[in-house]
Amino acid sequence: MTGAMALIRIVRAAFYGTLAAISLAVLIGVGIFFIAVRDLPRVPEPLSRIIETPPTEIFAATGERLMVMGGREVIPLSDVSTRFIQAILATEDHRFWEHHGLDKLRTIKAIWITLFKPGRIEGASTITQQLSKNLFFSFKRRYMRKFREFLVAIQIESRYSKQEIIEAYVNQITMGVGANGIEQAARTFFGKPASELTLAQSALLAGLPKSPTRYNPYLHLDRAKERQRVVLSRMEAVGYITNDQARSAFQDELNLQPPSKAARTGSYFLDLVIRSLEERYGPEVVYHGGLKVTTTIDPQLQSMGEESLRHGLQRLDRMLGINEGVGRGPDSERVRPQGALVAVEANSGSIKAMVGGRSYIETEFNRAIENNRLPGSSFKPFLYYTAFEKLGLNPATVFVDRPVTIPVKGAPDWEPENFGIKHEGPMILKQALMKSVNSIAAQLVERTGPKDVIATARCCGITSALEPVYSIALGTSGVSPLEMASAFACFANGGIRHEPFWIWRVEDALGRVLEEHIISGKRALDASITYQVLDLMRGVLDAGTGSVIRRMGFNLPAAGKTGTTDFFYDSWFTGFTPALCTSVWVGYDRGQGMRDTRGTGITGGRAAAPIWADFMSKATEGDPPREFMIPSDIHFKMVDPITGTEISAFTPHPMQVALREGQELQEHTVVEEGLTDSEAGAMPSNDLEF
Amino acid sequence: MAFLVKSLAIRGNLCINFGNMDFSEPQNFREWASRVFAFRPLVLILIIFGIVISELRFDWAEQVVGVYLVKTNAQRPESGSIWEVSQRTVNARQRLEQLVTDLQSTQREARGAATFTQIASSLPPGQGVMLSSEHFRRLYLNLPGTMAHEIIAPFELLRLLSDGHWVRTYLESEDYGLKIYLINPENRVLRDLKIPSQLLYQIERVELALQGTLEDLPTFENRIYTAERFFRALNSLPEEELGSVVSQPEMLLGASGRIVRVGISDEAVSGYIELGFEIEDGTRRKVILLKGREWAVWILRSYLEEMGTDTQKSSGGEEIGEQG
Repeated sequence: MTGAMALIRIVRAAFYGTLAAISLAVLIGVGIFFIAVRDLPRVPEPLSRIIETPPTEIFAATGERLMVMGGREVIPLSDVSTRFIQAILATEDHRFWEHHGLDKLRTIKAIWITLFKPGRIEGASTITQQLSKNLFFSFKRRYMRKFREFLVAIQIESRYSKQEIIEAYVNQITMGVGANGIEQAARTFFGKPASELTLAQSALLAGLPKSPTRYNPYLHLDRAKERQRVVLSRMEAVGYITNDQARSAFQDELNLQPPSKAARTGSYFLDLVIRSLEERYGPEVVYHGGLKVTTTIDPQLQSMGEESLRHGLQRLDRMLGINEGVGRGPDSERVRPQGALVAVEANSGSIKAMVGGRSYIETEFNRAIENNRLPGSSFKPFLYYTAFEKLGLNPATVFVDRPVTIPVKGAPDWEPENFGIKHEGPMILKQALMKSVNSIAAQLVERTGPKDVIATARCCGITSALEPVYSIALGTSGVSPLEMASAFACFANGGIRHEPFWIWRVEDALGRVLEEHIISGKRALDASITYQVLDLMRGVLDAGTGSVIRRMGFNLPAAGKTGTTDFFYDSWFTGFTPALCTSVWVGYDRGQGMRDTRGTGITGGRAAAPIWADFMSKATEGDPPREFMIPSDIHFKMVDPITGTEISAFTPHPMQVALREGQELQEHTVVEEGLTDSEAGAMPSNDLEF
Repeated sequence: MAFLVKSLAIRGNLCINFGNMDFSEPQNFREWASRVFAFRPLVLILIIFGIVISELRFDWAEQVVGVYLVKTNAQRPESGSIWEVSQRTVNARQRLEQLVTDLQSTQREARGAATFTQIASSLPPGQGVMLSSEHFRRLYLNLPGTMAHEIIAPFELLRLLSDGHWVRTYLESEDYGLKIYLINPENRVLRDLKIPSQLLYQIERVELALQGTLEDLPTFENRIYTAERFFRALNSLPEEELGSVVSQPEMLLGASGRIVRVGISDEAVSGYIELGFEIEDGTRRKVILLKGREWAVWILRSYLEEMGTDTQKSSGGEEIGEQG
């Protein structure tokens, strides 16, 4: 009896204790309510107003929409696939139609788990609460924030119908890869409107809001599929679909859009566009102003550029032995060389393709514009132009490839070496550029002076800091691929320079033009000398260090120059047809040279030129051969590449040179620098490139 | 809660007499049971359960709170992320509207301009205006032939027109004057032209026909000659120098009325000296300002001075209206 009485006393104490606790909780709740309600945000009316933000849209030159920023495409609920509505309700809030903003049973369960199962936090937010959180609150986990979110949810439930709430919800949920709202998500992932989503697609999308990054189907298809399975099973459990339908939907083809399109076509390029817009209009206007931006990019060339660079880098990986795990460097398994490609329309300066690295997802650093790397010998065309212009030299002028020592004031003498160290003796300048002979470049820069070479480069559009030292002739100041492409386009365009640009037109949401680009060229170089240098660069492709391009089957008239820097840190090829100028850079991000598994250094001709050839072959496929414009005062002569004199019937390898009016061939060999023929005697041959 | 139960009980007219309640602890199980299962505790428990169940079923608490919140909504602040976004959208729209308004007003002003000088003065530095090719042609044709020729030869313009590619003209204000781009439908520049500040100034002067006489303009003080004497002196100049003194004779030819007097400024600006031609048009007088090359005007002046001396010698210095 005493035991029973004790038990009764305990029960009584518990009962009254609970009553007191509940009373206290109610009192505290009322107090907190009035505290919380003081700075509770106002709910806009109508609810749809909150999501009416005009999007800023970025278009390709072809009119294709590349990207939508900031805004949301609001569609009525009737334009959303019923399957998607069912999927999102089953997954996020299956009692949505029953509750008034709070799912009490689920909340009690969640509190229980959170309190009594350490390490686990169970969510119980209804769709209305999620909407409330997304619209008004930060994502910080705070009790007061949670309470306010709950209050706003209650208000939304009291003021709006369930249809209005679910419509607002599906129009604002974040699905990842820049897709906000169901319509954008459906178009981004599946290239179709939200009304046409299948059960499988609806289930995949309904799984994304939980963690758009974790379940991003482009990055983690396996996780996305697993999440899809969860969604389908929830739909089955709720009774929206049968088991058979769930199974069949799980096995259905998703028909995902290619990630490059769905994500951000030419993301490196788009970054550049967005940055420019932000500089001009400010971030607020860019993200909330609803601009319509037409860019210069050609999506087809862009994807060709991406593909060519990807294949080229994979090929390079194999050369470096990275795939086999025998690459050089401690991190060769993980650290792979990077690359960049920029294609510029020669007669306008518009950027048609830009790839800033292996993968935008891996690294957003845009090597096409931000990476100033030494151009090596690809800088030599500026030197040759300067020499032709300032010294009156011509492609048939003979120089001697010999050891050179150039005294430098206040510094040790400069003794540039050839790529293969050996020297070949006398040769005409065309041959010297085709073989990229450093000793002759050094002799030229000694006579022109580095400042004039820099002036030429500046005229062509090189804007990076260039050091006025002799070695500038060998490309010892960093430049970006965009600068190189734009500067070489000046050669392609007969000496007319066009500023590179990437935005054609900017309009506001009502179609009023805020700016438009006007293509205006400026004569930067003399047309005839430009053609002479261009002719030298044609030789680079036809029989010089870039001849791999011809071997790969690219046969259209084109010119270009390879570049490789000390220790094979950088590999370049910049070249052009009359219409398109493309620059390719390949190298490690941080000081690491590129050598193949046999230890042989990888040059511009081996790494960058094949990427260029691959890209240009695709980009010009079907184009008729178009010759470069030849200025009227240019005439051609066949010469002996060693003596620079007119050929005879016995000249072994005659070479064609372009001469300007008044420039004629020498009857006898005249070697520049005052060297005699005997001093310039034949030396061991060197067919390596630089 | 006890208070709540008590209040509810009172409101529900349950007639619970708390004064008769026994608050002493029951001594045995039976007493416990009789107290627990008595009418009043059962009613209390039923009420509590009723409240809980009805709340679970009908969500009345949320509804009450919801109604309260809806009613007080207007007094609450526009805070929270969506309002911030909304505010940013409003700011962005305002900024864009301002930008577009500025652009449009510049465009309107420039498009309403009758001369290149007016366009140049209406454009802020670095800004431009897009005109149709017809509009440009109208402005061009308003210019005196020599000036128009300085900008672009008429035949060159004719050639561009006949090509059919020239559709628009972009005019941009620059430090040195006005830059003009004749562009095709692809926004490619077919031809770029420049109107230096000096030429703009000349155009402005040419266009300027001041109402009044030369005496109203202090710059010509003591250098006003009769038209007859001026043109006599002008005719004494070598043929090739005439154009350097009066570079746009068609401006004078085009003016209605008769030139009665000519003034020469005492100030040279950038190698030019201003000439004022006073024209009598019925009862009205007006002055057209032109510019002449400094060196040519100086020669002309020396001729005028010599003629003045000769005239004085021959006629006793009587020249009506002449002060020079």
